[in-house]
Amino acid sequence: MEGLEKRYGQLQALSGVSLEVEPGTLFGLLGQNGAGKTTLIKILLGLVAPTGGRASLLGQPVGGLAARRDVGYLPEDHRLPEYHTAPSLLDFYGALQGLTRRERQARIPPLLEMLGLKGREKLRIRGYSKGMKQRLGLAQALLHRPRVLFLDEPTDGIDPVGRKEIRDVLLEEQRSGVTVFINSHLLGEVEQLCDRVAIMRRGHLLVSGTVAELTHTKPSWLVGFDLPPADLRWEGCRLEPARPGLWRVHLDPPGADSLDRFLAQAHGRGLRLRHLEAERATLEDLYLALATHDRQAP
Amino acid sequence: MTSYANRASPASQNGPASPPSPRLLRAFGAMLRDAWREFLDAKILLLLLGLIGLLFAVALTGRIEPQPAGKNYLDLSARAMAADLEGVDLSQESVASMTGRLNGSLVWITKAEPLLADLPTGQWNVELKRSFVPLVAGPLAAEEVQARFGRIADGQLWRVSQAEETSDSLGRTVGMQSFRLTVEPGADLRLLWPHQFSLFGDSLDLTPPRGAPLGLEVLILQKLLTTGLGGSLLLLVSVVVTAAFVPNMIRKGTLELLLVRPLPRWVLLVMKYVGALVFVTVLLGLLVLAGWLITGILAGIWSPGILLALPTLILFFALLLAVSVCVGVLTRSAVAAMLVTVTYWAVLFIAGQMHNQVVESRFREENIGKLRPTSVVDSLRGAKPRREEPLKAGRVPFHRTAVGRVAEGIYTVLPHTEDLDNLVDRQLMRDLAVSGPFRALVERAEFSWSRRSGSR
Repeated sequence: MEGLEKRYGQLQALSGVSLEVEPGTLFGLLGQNGAGKTTLIKILLGLVAPTGGRASLLGQPVGGLAARRDVGYLPEDHRLPEYHTAPSLLDFYGALQGLTRRERQARIPPLLEMLGLKGREKLRIRGYSKGMKQRLGLAQALLHRPRVLFLDEPTDGIDPVGRKEIRDVLLEEQRSGVTVFINSHLLGEVEQLCDRVAIMRRGHLLVSGTVAELTHTKPSWLVGFDLPPADLRWEGCRLEPARPGLWRVHLDPPGADSLDRFLAQAHGRGLRLRHLEAERATLEDLYLALATHDRQAP
Repeated sequence: MTSYANRASPASQNGPASPPSPRLLRAFGAMLRDAWREFLDAKILLLLLGLIGLLFAVALTGRIEPQPAGKNYLDLSARAMAADLEGVDLSQESVASMTGRLNGSLVWITKAEPLLADLPTGQWNVELKRSFVPLVAGPLAAEEVQARFGRIADGQLWRVSQAEETSDSLGRTVGMQSFRLTVEPGADLRLLWPHQFSLFGDSLDLTPPRGAPLGLEVLILQKLLTTGLGGSLLLLVSVVVTAAFVPNMIRKGTLELLLVRPLPRWVLLVMKYVGALVFVTVLLGLLVLAGWLITGILAGIWSPGILLALPTLILFFALLLAVSVCVGVLTRSAVAAMLVTVTYWAVLFIAGQMHNQVVESRFREENIGKLRPTSVVDSLRGAKPRREEPLKAGRVPFHRTAVGRVAEGIYTVLPHTEDLDNLVDRQLMRDLAVSGPFRALVERAEFSWSRRSGSR
């Protein structure tokens, strides 16, 4: 996509967004509510027309019927028709998507099993929990084996076990060559899952790159001892409580020698090391930094 | 690459003109099944279908029993034959123009005995007398009586299986003939024969003491079950249920799941409309079929005219659904769609009734001083036709009042759904010999006899 623009009356939802996603990528789009993530996805799906710029999907201009055949979409806050059961709903969407009866019959049961919805075939969606609806939403996006998946908050409302399952499903899809495009504000989720990430704010694309590029090693370490240290004033380093049982160590100067000196001191104080980890900046740090920046310089 | 710059058209219009038709058919099938599920999901549907079921169950407890009336219908046939012998074409002549023309023949029944019972199904032995003015008219052969008795223009009350003349040559000379006939029921006799109609066995009698013509009872029952109460209930249910279809489909979070499919938007909307219409059509079909079966079972009359109610009901619902879909798209509210549709229905109904008033008012004005027809029931009870009287001084006929003019203006603009109903009514009346030419014939025959016997 190149220089995409979208205006809703006075509101500039997207301004000059340019982005390229390679096939087979698990791509995460981050941003606060109202940053323009959903608008961007809707343009790519052809649900809204951009007011400027151009975009293509799988080599086809977006918005055409042909481009939609190979696309799966899970909207944010989707509401599945409540009078359906899971199989009947998937059958309905599958037929609209153009799958033959045979294709649908072959595809739906294993899909339901894969997403943990087996055994509930007779239950109307009205009786589903949020997590089950989310799984079914994902099922309808995967149903026709699309080459591109657009998922808006896919793990919203799902318990940790379910999230793990969904991550596995998405990784499996990626392995088979599907491009997955995820909108989320669950940063940890995106960090664990995605190869590439972009952060949006107020319709602008701020940064994009691989997760490794965007997160870097910090000079601090996290340590844990068998006993809590009596005082935090150590030589050549500064300690501060980080999380329960863990302390953050700022070495001065940073480097392997300083770390050795620190470990020797710990030994000297009769503390046994239980945990040692180089601290990394997370996406959350980056995201919060950008958000703070945003607040300071609107 | 397609540039979207300076383009405001909906995205869906940029795709290929239409997808291949098997794909479209598959999608249509899916939409139908979806509509069916949504339809059956509504609890109110079951409730009101239960109500309609109850209505039909009550109707099924009905009993229709013929009342003794053979003598009346033999008399009627005799009078009609008298008019016939005078060369009065009862299907063409107006009552007024016949006045004073029946000078020659007079025909009457002197004895009538049923072979078995006084029922519209059995044979009768009849003795008939005819008087005529010898110089004006000649004697009648038995074969002619056999051909003419029981016929009233295109209707047939009785068929004569045997006829012999019993009068002697003296009688023939002075203008007095007598005949002995064996008659059996004609095609139209049963429909006009008075029957008693009661519900719950015999416990709730719905007819006047002497009964009402069977055709009329069947007509009222068929109307009640199909275009009347039964149809209105079913249409009301359908309006309530389908009002939610489009708002449900286009609400946020559901619409997106449909719009991403490789189908143009208009196809989705049209399919939803047709899907809803198809299932209401099925329900209406069952209703009309049930109405037809019930009256068939109760009365043994299987006239197919009532099946015409089906296309008219479908057409009417298609109109209501169009309004409902339109309001649903504009407001995204099922309640708004339902209320506007029901209001529209009410407006159509009232405008139709007002239109009927206007038509009747015009007819009266055009026919002041002429005789107005009476109903079969009234004429069988011996009621005399009355003349149309002008309105009292200072009163304006309805179609000339402001209200009448406005009502007719509104009716002109709105779809003429009242005409659909009238179409069905007319067909039923034709089928069941309750009105139309045959009814008029019965009335004229009665009238002509009254005039004649009055001058005797």
